[in-house]
Amino acid sequence: MYARLLSNRYLTSRLIPLIAIGAVALCVAMVVTVVSVMTGFLDLLRGAGRSIVGDVIVSSGIGGMPHYDELIARIDALPECHKATPVIDTFGLLRMPYPRGPEKEIVTTQVWAIEPLSFAEVTEYADNLYWRRPVDDAARAAMQPDDPRLDINPAWLQDGFTLVESATGRPGVAIGMHVSVANERQSDGSYRPRYGWSMPGRDVTLTLVPVSSRGKIAEPREEAFPIVNEVQSGVYEVDKNRIFAPLAVVQRMLRMDRAPLYDITADPGPDGQLPVIGETPARVTKILARAKPGVTPAALRDAIERTYREFSLEVDANRSLTTKMPQIVSVLTWEQQLRDLIAPVQKEREMMRILFSLIYIVCAGLILSIFWAIVIEKTRDIGILRSVGASRRGILWIFLRYGLVIGIFGSAIGVALAWLIVTRINDIHSAIGSDAPAAVWIGTYALAAGALCGVVWQAVRGRLLPLLLWTLATLIFMVAGTGLLFHRGTLIWDPSVYYFSRIPSQVDWWTAGLTVIGAVVFSVIGAAIPAARAADTDPVEALRYG
Amino acid sequence: MGDRPRILEARNVHKTYRFGAVPVEVLRGADLSVHAGEWVAILGSSGSGKSTLLHLLGGLDRPDRGRGEILWRGESISIAPGRRIDRYRNRDVGFVFQFYHLLPELDTLDNVLLPTMVGRWMRPDPAPARSLLESFGLAHRLHHRPAQLSGGERQRAAIARALVRGPQVLLADEPTGNLDAVTGGSILDLLAERHRSGLTIVMVTHDAQVAARADRIVQLRDGQVQA
Ligand SMILES: Nc1ncnc2c1ncn2[C@@H]1O[C@H](COP(=O)(O)OP(=O)(O)OP(=O)(O)O)[C@@H](O)[C@H]1O
Ligand SMILES: [Mg+2]
Repeated sequence: MYARLLSNRYLTSRLIPLIAIGAVALCVAMVVTVVSVMTGFLDLLRGAGRSIVGDVIVSSGIGGMPHYDELIARIDALPECHKATPVIDTFGLLRMPYPRGPEKEIVTTQVWAIEPLSFAEVTEYADNLYWRRPVDDAARAAMQPDDPRLDINPAWLQDGFTLVESATGRPGVAIGMHVSVANERQSDGSYRPRYGWSMPGRDVTLTLVPVSSRGKIAEPREEAFPIVNEVQSGVYEVDKNRIFAPLAVVQRMLRMDRAPLYDITADPGPDGQLPVIGETPARVTKILARAKPGVTPAALRDAIERTYREFSLEVDANRSLTTKMPQIVSVLTWEQQLRDLIAPVQKEREMMRILFSLIYIVCAGLILSIFWAIVIEKTRDIGILRSVGASRRGILWIFLRYGLVIGIFGSAIGVALAWLIVTRINDIHSAIGSDAPAAVWIGTYALAAGALCGVVWQAVRGRLLPLLLWTLATLIFMVAGTGLLFHRGTLIWDPSVYYFSRIPSQVDWWTAGLTVIGAVVFSVIGAAIPAARAADTDPVEALRYG
Repeated sequence: MGDRPRILEARNVHKTYRFGAVPVEVLRGADLSVHAGEWVAILGSSGSGKSTLLHLLGGLDRPDRGRGEILWRGESISIAPGRRIDRYRNRDVGFVFQFYHLLPELDTLDNVLLPTMVGRWMRPDPAPARSLLESFGLAHRLHHRPAQLSGGERQRAAIARALVRGPQVLLADEPTGNLDAVTGGSILDLLAERHRSGLTIVMVTHDAQVAARADRIVQLRDGQVQA
């Protein structure tokens, strides 16, 4: 009982333990914040990876895979597979509707030609369509009053989903959210089209370059499409480059559709045509597949790899089919596909964990030196306690408990601090990203002026230590105020450098738990050495002391 | 006194301090028998080893190995395990020091309660400590810190602390050494009153007038106790 009483009193009767608590809190907050953001980043990367490409990707060369509909039917029939969908992945030039005048901006884009219905079952394409009306009053209330989504054409969502402009019946394209430079991101994550340059409904011209399976480039094809919607996957690199177009249209433009096969060695017939000797089948360059719930991407990949091998052997054996399956295809899980992206982040996170573990040692050292001083200061108390019958273990416990309390309080405050920072990190970031509001620096100067009054008052009273502290406070506020005055917004998390357009803002509770345990353990270790010294103190010596 | 049992004894006790390489033999075969209910004063000049002897009697320290022992009701506490000695200090004897030795962070009441907190998880019943302090005239000082008390008040609080667990023997090391004659006198009156109700007291002093309040005076000279 005395141990509890005394360790609490030693804790509350002086300032130094508060410094120790503050140090532990800062260490914990730092570790939890940094690792949480990195974990969030990894999770985003993984989540986005799956939501963009599905679980397994079968890719062939630029010549594409023929007979893909049969292959997809086989993959669909696999017990591991929920759905498979064909895609052509190619590059194209997009002539944007802006600016005004004849000179339009032209951007290079990655074109994904899709069959939207099955594609939406493999990826989260439908959920990523940005322009949609709020589904209910709650969603409506969550939006800013000037959010254009409150009042848009309700057909846009359906058009985006089918890639057909319902008003005209024309095939359309859905473009990535950041393809158009007109979309301006707001701090709440929503978008406002700049100068009224709202994309849906406008026409763009898409230019594609057909490449034969022998690598020959044919005449580029150009076609105008209405933009039916915009797509936000959350991965900036994707949203900046990718557009979605209907598969059939792109196949036709790239000459990857079904076509008669002519005998070019024969003479033209009486109508001037070469004789038809067969048919080239339609082709795609990718097949994406999603696993059934509970099936790992790796299991699905293995099944698809087997299926492809069997299928390609069958095609080879079937003499009536003139076009063979490509021999070189890659079958990868989304994780393998994005490995170059994920692995470095994972390594960095481990590095951070290890580096920050060193901070604990600093914390333990700090607690050790503070406690050492306290034990020496309290030597006489130790003698007194022994003289009334306290055991050595009791004395040990006073200081161990003291360390425990500092560790627990410090890390609790640290986790709270980290939570505050992480959950508000996007606000903090945008605050740093913009100039400091005048009120803030004026307020800081006001505080400096207040502290200056304190300096004058203490100078009159003639006390040196308070004078020094007030002077320091004045200087700190002055410097901070001046810093804020001249602060010009700098974007740290520039979406063109990082993949995601928002900083992850979820506390990684697993890491937080580990960090708290670490901080408590190291605090106790730091306290153990002075505590052992206290327990070893000879009571007679201690009583003579002071 | 001969009919009373010997409660606390020092037998041929030696105590040597090492001052650097030079051994200083402070006690050289000291013998002392304290009978139950007795008030013994140990008189001696400064540096004669009075405090040393008292610390040995109270189990705060041990005699030189194999050279003498301290007996509590016939049981040697010089060779007892640490736990037993902790218990001995907690229950059987109470210490009073010249410089009060109260804990500065605790108020008077908690200081007095300290021995009853040892070995317990819950806060002990404050009633005995409170009534003890009231009988010592400190009822209005229960929640003052030691720094806010006068010397006499502090010493009374220290005596209350020594007595709160109802020990049989009080070990007092110059309890009036730091007080003026009047205050010191009142402290001695307080001890005398406790003595009348049966408390055994071993008191160390270098002041013959103070020693005169005791039943018996022994001299500590050349590391030995002389009647
Ligand atoms: N830890 C120690 N190391 C070395 N010498 C010590 C130690 N403790 C006590 N002494 C010496 O032992 C001698 C006796 O000390 P002690 O405190 O018992 O004397 P005392 O009779 O109580 O004196 P006073 O009346 O001044 O309190 C002194 O000479 C002292 O210097
Ligand atoms: Mg002394």
